[in-house]
Amino acid sequence: MARILLADDDAHIVRVMSIWLERHGYDLVTASNGAEALEVLDRGGIDLIVSDMNMPVMDGVAMARAIRDRGEVDVPILLLTARCDQQKLAGQMEEYRVLVYPKPFVPSKLVAEVNRLLGPVPTTP
Amino acid sequence: MKRWWTQLTGFLTAEEVPRWFGLSLVLIYLVGLATVTNVGIRQARRETSAHFRGSALYATEMLVDRLASLPDPSLPGGQNSPYERAMGEFAAHVPVRSVRLLNGERVLASIDPSDFDGVPASTRSLAIPSEMEVTPLRRSDGGAPDLFLRAAVHSSTISDPLLLEVVLIGEPPASISFASHAGAFSVLLVVLGAFFVVYRCLREQLRGVARIADRLYAHRDRIRDELTSLRIADSNGLDGVTTAWNELVNLTQHLLETVQRTEANQELSRVLQNSGGGALAEALHAVPDGIIHIRDESRVDYANATACRLLGWNTHGSSDRTLDGADGSNASQQILSLIRGSLGPDGKYEPCTEVVETEEEKGEPANSYRVWVVPLTRGHHSGECVILIRDVSQQMRAERAREEFVTQVTHELRTPLTNIRAYAETLSSGMFEDPKVITECYNVITKETRRLSRLIEDILSVSQLEVGSIHLAVDNVDLRALLTDGVRDVRGVAEEKSIDLQLVLPAKLETIRGDRDKLAVVINNLLGNAIKYTPRDGTVIVGCQMSGQEAMITVKDNGIGIDAMDHARVFEKFQRGRDPEVQSETGTGIGLYTAREIVRRHGGDIDLISEKGRGSTFMVRLPHREGRAAALSTSVDG
Repeated sequence: MARILLADDDAHIVRVMSIWLERHGYDLVTASNGAEALEVLDRGGIDLIVSDMNMPVMDGVAMARAIRDRGEVDVPILLLTARCDQQKLAGQMEEYRVLVYPKPFVPSKLVAEVNRLLGPVPTTP
Repeated sequence: MKRWWTQLTGFLTAEEVPRWFGLSLVLIYLVGLATVTNVGIRQARRETSAHFRGSALYATEMLVDRLASLPDPSLPGGQNSPYERAMGEFAAHVPVRSVRLLNGERVLASIDPSDFDGVPASTRSLAIPSEMEVTPLRRSDGGAPDLFLRAAVHSSTISDPLLLEVVLIGEPPASISFASHAGAFSVLLVVLGAFFVVYRCLREQLRGVARIADRLYAHRDRIRDELTSLRIADSNGLDGVTTAWNELVNLTQHLLETVQRTEANQELSRVLQNSGGGALAEALHAVPDGIIHIRDESRVDYANATACRLLGWNTHGSSDRTLDGADGSNASQQILSLIRGSLGPDGKYEPCTEVVETEEEKGEPANSYRVWVVPLTRGHHSGECVILIRDVSQQMRAERAREEFVTQVTHELRTPLTNIRAYAETLSSGMFEDPKVITECYNVITKETRRLSRLIEDILSVSQLEVGSIHLAVDNVDLRALLTDGVRDVRGVAEEKSIDLQLVLPAKLETIRGDRDKLAVVINNLLGNAIKYTPRDGTVIVGCQMSGQEAMITVKDNGIGIDAMDHARVFEKFQRGRDPEVQSETGTGIGLYTAREIVRRHGGDIDLISEKGRGSTFMVRLPHREGRAAALSTSVDG
């Protein structure tokens, strides 16, 4: 079972996306900011990171850079952002191999994107 | 008659003058040359004849000597042949008609003796001359006279002298005559050729001169005013002289214009310098933009008061006005560096427009100056330019704030939308079965929708405030109810952060006149900020006091506080505090602006007491007395 790290300071997003991802057969770990996410990542076993961009303590960009800088290049990172300059951000994050995903989003499409990145996972009934 | 005279004068003064003049010169020259050549030929002929005659006489003397050395022909065994042979050789080299040698009357030897018949008897004699006699013989055909020569031959073998008679042809042979004339003809031909070449060149030059003269005569009265009328039109092609003339006219025109401009500039400079505080200089000093005039690449000719202030120059003296200076980050160093940089290697200024930005330091905010370098290309002064410096700090700040506002609004709109869409799709998917959870989902959607509406209201308020179309629905406002409702609206948010939200009100509160909804926006914005910028477990206290003619609402927190430098800034449209703790929170920078504008439209104001790290207190002062309330209702209602 693929394990996803979901980092967001918005409890509503964490709650809704947890339901959706678990229903689609993923094991979920959550964090409320970038620093917490790094701690969770240290414990290992994370296959994909879905993170908000704006978070207190450490934002999504700083978190992604820290992850890549310490040599973890394989784990895909999906960065959710409500910024208006998403294309510019996508260009900036390209070197860190971070996919920028725009807000507002529909949960089913975000799950489809996760499926695409991790490969199809059989959903639990 | 008149026509003839006109044609003649036209011919004489028109461009054909060179041709006529040249032809006259040719005729005069040819007549002179013919005369000189004739004289020369005659002289040459005379000299040739004299030379021929001298040569013939000398040859005859040689013949006499040779005949004298021959043996006597009359002696036995003597032969005539040596005499005749000598005379034959003589005749072969000298043009003679006849030669004979006589001993008395006896002819000893002869060549063509018949020709002696033409010699007049008066000249013929048997007497032996002591010296050679030369007698010209007139010819019947009028040609040059022949010469009849008589000479004694004193032979060593004959006792009596013999007599030699020779008739010489008077004219030199044709070959000698031709040779003597060929030289003269060659000289004549060379001279004629040279003259032709000189004539052609002169004719071309004179034609241009004639056209120039024609222009000068035609426009002599208005040469100064219409110098260009002196240009030769190139309808028939321009030769060297007319092209050079046209260039001269152009150069003169250019010089004349330059002189006029220089005179005008000098006059203007003189007036400016003499007057010092003349009207124009005073006017330029009053301009809010900096104006500098630079001459000769780096000489500051003029700088107005604004430019002097910006660049730290003395307004009254010009000794310190120099473009030199170290490169640096302050405004004057950057502006001077920009001016120096726009001077090209060829000594000309390049036009440029750039914004110079200073860094924020020592409590001074960052400033922006737009600098224009406008080169002046008057005459040959290439290193001359005008510099315009405009303070655009306010515009740049406003522009940046607007961009930041758009970014923030986008974020603020998308965040609640994200939650609404996520919960809506989740509800519709049937994933939640617990009715309590479903109700929570609807509450989230409702809350986020309200958040969106409030944001849109704020943005609309800003728009209305900007265009001055905001409308206050003035009525009696119960302050207690206003504040109680305001606190209730944000209590949920405060509880999420465990913030102690207190409402402390006196027992008695008067009603005031105002727009309840707009005032509710004010309270909501102030409370929203207080909760947003107060850390978890902090305290926010809302209070109200009646004092004199005012009601004072206070919103006090023990949050991050506001730096004194930002106290005015936080009330500006689209502006937010520059503290990193503020920047880490989302916000549009319109909440406090909207709140203060609404309060001001109620006749009150908002004061701020705050210290960084020690919390903030916003004090809303609103009028409550009847008189002011009535005035408010008439001035803003409608």
